Amino acid sequence: MTETNFLGMKMKNPIMIAAGPWSRDGKSIKRCFKTGVGAVVTESIVSDTMLDVRPRIAYNGSGAQNIRLYSDVQVEGWEREMKIAKSSGGIVIASVSAQTPSEIAYLATKLEKFGADAIEISVSNPMWQSLEVMASNPETIYDMTKEVVSNVNIPVITKLSQNTTNISLVAKAVKEAGGSAVSAINTIRCILGVDIDNAKPTLGTYGGYSGAPIKPLGLASVATIAQSVNIPLSGIGGVEKHQDVLEYIMLGADTVQIGTTMMVDGPEKVKEIVNDLELWCEEKNISSISEIKGKALKNLRSFDEMKIEPATSTVSSVPCDVDCDKCIRACIYGAISKEKGNVNVNKKICNGCGLCTFVCPPKKLKMQW
Amino acid sequence: MNIREIAKRAGVSVATVSRVLNHPEAVAEKTRKKIEEIISEEEYTPNWFARGLNFNKTGTIGLMIPHVLNSVYMEMAKGVEDVANQKEYTTFMCNAEDDRKKEIHYLDQLIKKRVDGIVLISSMLEAEDLKRVKEQNVPLVMVGGCKSNPGFDSVNIDCRLGAEEAVNHLINIGYTKIAILCSKTESHDNKEKIAGYRDELDRVGIPIRSEYIKRVENSIEGGYLGAKKLMEINERPQAIFTTSDNIAFGVMDAIKDKDLLIPEQVAVVGFDNVRLSNLVSPRINTVDTPLHKMGVYGARLLFDIIEDEKKQNEPRTIILQTKLKIRKSCGHKERIGEMF
Repeated sequence: MTETNFLGMKMKNPIMIAAGPWSRDGKSIKRCFKTGVGAVVTESIVSDTMLDVRPRIAYNGSGAQNIRLYSDVQVEGWEREMKIAKSSGGIVIASVSAQTPSEIAYLATKLEKFGADAIEISVSNPMWQSLEVMASNPETIYDMTKEVVSNVNIPVITKLSQNTTNISLVAKAVKEAGGSAVSAINTIRCILGVDIDNAKPTLGTYGGYSGAPIKPLGLASVATIAQSVNIPLSGIGGVEKHQDVLEYIMLGADTVQIGTTMMVDGPEKVKEIVNDLELWCEEKNISSISEIKGKALKNLRSFDEMKIEPATSTVSSVPCDVDCDKCIRACIYGAISKEKGNVNVNKKICNGCGLCTFVCPPKKLKMQW
Repeated sequence: MNIREIAKRAGVSVATVSRVLNHPEAVAEKTRKKIEEIISEEEYTPNWFARGLNFNKTGTIGLMIPHVLNSVYMEMAKGVEDVANQKEYTTFMCNAEDDRKKEIHYLDQLIKKRVDGIVLISSMLEAEDLKRVKEQNVPLVMVGGCKSNPGFDSVNIDCRLGAEEAVNHLINIGYTKIAILCSKTESHDNKEKIAGYRDELDRVGIPIRSEYIKRVENSIEGGYLGAKKLMEINERPQAIFTTSDNIAFGVMDAIKDKDLLIPEQVAVVGFDNVRLSNLVSPRINTVDTPLHKMGVYGARLLFDIIEDEKKQNEPRTIILQTKLKIRKSCGHKERIGEMF
């Protein structure tokens, strides 16, 4: 039911494990497969491994910052690791990261030879490079993708960054260069916080932001690409539950990748997402994921096309016994009052902004006209 | 004790002893046991060189570097050795001292010793010298700015781009009197670095002054002497771009000897980003070059040929990225530049 054909690869479901330290070698990739996902992307493989700084991952309860997550296995060692990774029969996509087209093409050809099912070009990390992420530039992405595509015979996916002015231009460059698909989004340049007692930024340098807080950004990027470029798409960013997977798919993703949840909550949580997705499809009688792919896009318009409806918040005297005044505090226009257990909205003052319907815990308020 | 003496003692031919060593299953048991006993009594171990003669593989590669005292080449050499070691190969390193004759001699020796392949770093060899090697079908890879490359696989950086970025940075700060101290070595890289310097000045319309362009020995001393000359020019340059960090170290020494301040009175930019460039005071702005990675790729391309993995015949070139390191020797006022 959740079977997915992605770039000719037959996957059990559209969920993939994203590139990261949880897929750093053969053994850990095998562990990823135990979650039941359709494919695993390796931690990004680089030309010349470096000692990793410590610490390099921070978490604030909702989002994570990492400052350098590359494989510390040299490319030569991946011959062995790939064999181990592939021994359970799953689909393994090799993530490669480099600074020039010839360098990244070299890595890709090696990983193809070692048995990778596809290549993911990862030049969108917001660390180390400079203020400008390499993937923010369509020409760079074109050159990188083209060089890899002309050197390997397996699908090439280019991972894109939200740190760019116009992501659809970059996605178009991938298509023009002959890339098979794009994945979006990579982590976003961030500083997780500052320890104000010691005036020290968390982790001491800029890093990549991931986890639930970046989901809205990932969704917007995926939808933008889906609306502007006809290219297979893997959605990434803040997936914590099966509903998130469905959101990405409904906005045009063919597959969805999970990273931070795997890191913070572990493989059991991912297993749960995989199972929940299966159940949801069963319940909704979905025979193929492609049935729902892009389904929400038809309800997604540009701002210019938005129709203005004279909606206001719900009519008067909604009984509410919840001991809170969130709606009252959040009403910018002062239209809401609460009296004797009833919430009243003054329709003359209400301007229809809609915020109260989102802040109300028991969802008592609704937009109507 | 050598294989001939073993054969003599056992009363068999050299070929039979060799078979016992390499394909024991092909030798009658009685003969094999006898030879094996003699081998163990004499504590004979076949030497790697002789094995090479037999199998066409010696498990060794040759590595030619221009200067053993220059840390740039040591970092590249380490990259080559790291990969070779992982492949269980031994690396023989030769120090050519920028001397073409010496390099030819060493190259001949390496080939005579039957190394399985050779990495040349910043080679001084002419096309004719290399063609001779090509005819002998010895796997060879050229790393860094070599004088000539008649179609071997190579690993390079874009030196022109690196120089352009460095000079552009100086122009952006506001300097117009910018000099270059370039290594005397006639390499492609050095030509490109001067070209990058000229291009960038041309682009913004700063006239190129011949007294601001000097060729010096690629060393601290070379930089010192070159900078001394530049300091004597009536219109002293405001900034000096050098084609190596070593030259830049000498330049800083000369500027300090003149009691001038870096960067307030003379700014300095180096090239390479060797470890020390971040430790001297002020820390030097420089063009970071992935030295270790260049060595790593040199060896990777070489082993691809040795292991016969290279598919196509046309030479492969891996171009690696340089990156301007902005530190304290140029007088950039905005702190943010320091980080990127």
